[in-house]
Amino acid sequence: MKRTPFGGLILLVSMGLAMLGPIVTVILWAFAVKWRYPHLLPTEWGLKYWFAMFGRETVITPILTSLALTSIATTTAALICWPAAYAFARLKFPGRQLLLFSFIAAQAVPKFALFVSIAVIFLKLGLVGNFWGVVVVQMLSAVLFMIWIPTAAFRGIPPALEEAAFDLGASRLRVFVLITLPQAMPALAASYVLAFVSILFEVDSALLIGAPTITTMPLLLMTLSAQIIVQEAAVLCVLIWVPCAVLLLLSRRFMTARGIAQGFGA
Amino acid sequence: MPDLGTTSGGIAPRHTQRTGLGLQALAGLALVALPVGLLVTLILWPTVRMVTATFLIDGNLSSDRYFAFFNDTYTRANLRYTLEMGLVSAVVALAISFGIALYLRFSAGRIATLIHGLSLFPLFVPSIIISYALVRFLGPNGLFQLMLEQVGFTHYRTPYLTPVGPFLAFVWENIPLPVLVLSAGLSQVSDHAVEAARDLGAKAPRILFEILLPQMRRSLLIAFALIFMGIIGAFTVPYMLGPPAPEMMSVFMQRTLGNLHDPESAQVQAVVLMVISSIVGGFYIATMVKSSEAVR
Repeated sequence: MKRTPFGGLILLVSMGLAMLGPIVTVILWAFAVKWRYPHLLPTEWGLKYWFAMFGRETVITPILTSLALTSIATTTAALICWPAAYAFARLKFPGRQLLLFSFIAAQAVPKFALFVSIAVIFLKLGLVGNFWGVVVVQMLSAVLFMIWIPTAAFRGIPPALEEAAFDLGASRLRVFVLITLPQAMPALAASYVLAFVSILFEVDSALLIGAPTITTMPLLLMTLSAQIIVQEAAVLCVLIWVPCAVLLLLSRRFMTARGIAQGFGA
Repeated sequence: MPDLGTTSGGIAPRHTQRTGLGLQALAGLALVALPVGLLVTLILWPTVRMVTATFLIDGNLSSDRYFAFFNDTYTRANLRYTLEMGLVSAVVALAISFGIALYLRFSAGRIATLIHGLSLFPLFVPSIIISYALVRFLGPNGLFQLMLEQVGFTHYRTPYLTPVGPFLAFVWENIPLPVLVLSAGLSQVSDHAVEAARDLGAKAPRILFEILLPQMRRSLLIAFALIFMGIIGAFTVPYMLGPPAPEMMSVFMQRTLGNLHDPESAQVQAVVLMVISSIVGGFYIATMVKSSEAVR
């Protein structure tokens, strides 16, 4: 099954076009001042639309709303999930396997359908369009990353080190802060990043539970993408996506097949 | 005290071991209570409430809403379109990924590294970004059309706002997962088995169908289930790239709830989608459990 380098080259070029072509188009648009049919590339370049975007409150407000929503939801989820992950990894209690398993099973529920059920309840309670209502629902997107990645990380820390510290008389808290936590830190940070990005770009609950009072950044992007001036949506795309892609790249070690299977797939 | 925690990694410091289990159990339950509570209040309760509500009309048990659902031609067309989209996109994404994984398994060097990197790129691109990017790339007068016209092809017809649009986006998004899963599976097929077969005169297709595919069956099934569930529940991709009709189920639900203000029908649509998804999900979990038992 040996292939010639030529075959590999064809695969490489076609994949490069298919995978990068769409994103390259958006980046070109973000820096184009004039790009008219049938020119292959923009005929005039510049940052005109970047400056135009930042002068507008209708653009700034959704970005700030999204950052606030996402930070609050992700941090709260971390505060309640990380200790739980430690418990799942290190403590024995009745129902441990079943409860841990329920976090995978929860992923099999189609999210949009679930948000319909929540939206109907929120409609009755008058919580639709409420900032805190959206925060609580968006936390759901974080729970999986925040339980699974840290649980695996805490399990991966060899108990021998902690036991040695106990034997020398260290308290449980001291062992946790000085030994367990530093070793789990990269995984905790990665789970935070993955959860943060997935909430930042979350459309489904923002639309069903936040709109029209709460406009988040992805909802703004949807509105802008339907408008005539192409550059505005392109600028927003580049502005938001590039920092997130860098963050994700830094935590790519934790985006294993298993993690993705559980997180992104369903 | 029997092996406290050696298999599960649990630790009980010496001084708590005598009364340890009770204390540890309490601490454990207390620590997991909040996230479990979140699942109960935001997933379990709304789902149970919704399923019950769809069967109750003025306090009486009735399946009329489901009859209405399955008797409506447009609704049935949407459901069918959703399932077909999931099936076709998942199969095509798996076929392409399997090809990439095979290439990566049997080649090395800089080109293979680049192809591996490119195949994982969609992991870093959220749905909303790729949907918009595909509109600009494949849409009317998009970069792809401009490139084709440069080489003299002028009959490009855009897939934007046709079923091909979301199909392409779903395939694009679902390359990384099977490439990772299948690469892991293929790396366990020994070179010896392949070489032995080749020495005995087996051609590439025969090696593929008789050695590689049988060993990959479980990985392929798991990947298929995950991709299929993801696609039939997707909203952003069909909303931004798909035709106005037929609609995929999530878009249909959004319009039923948001524009038609008909929460009752929207809930029935949601329950039908949940049932289909849970059948596939149950199958996925059964396969996962079986394979982890096989490992043990």
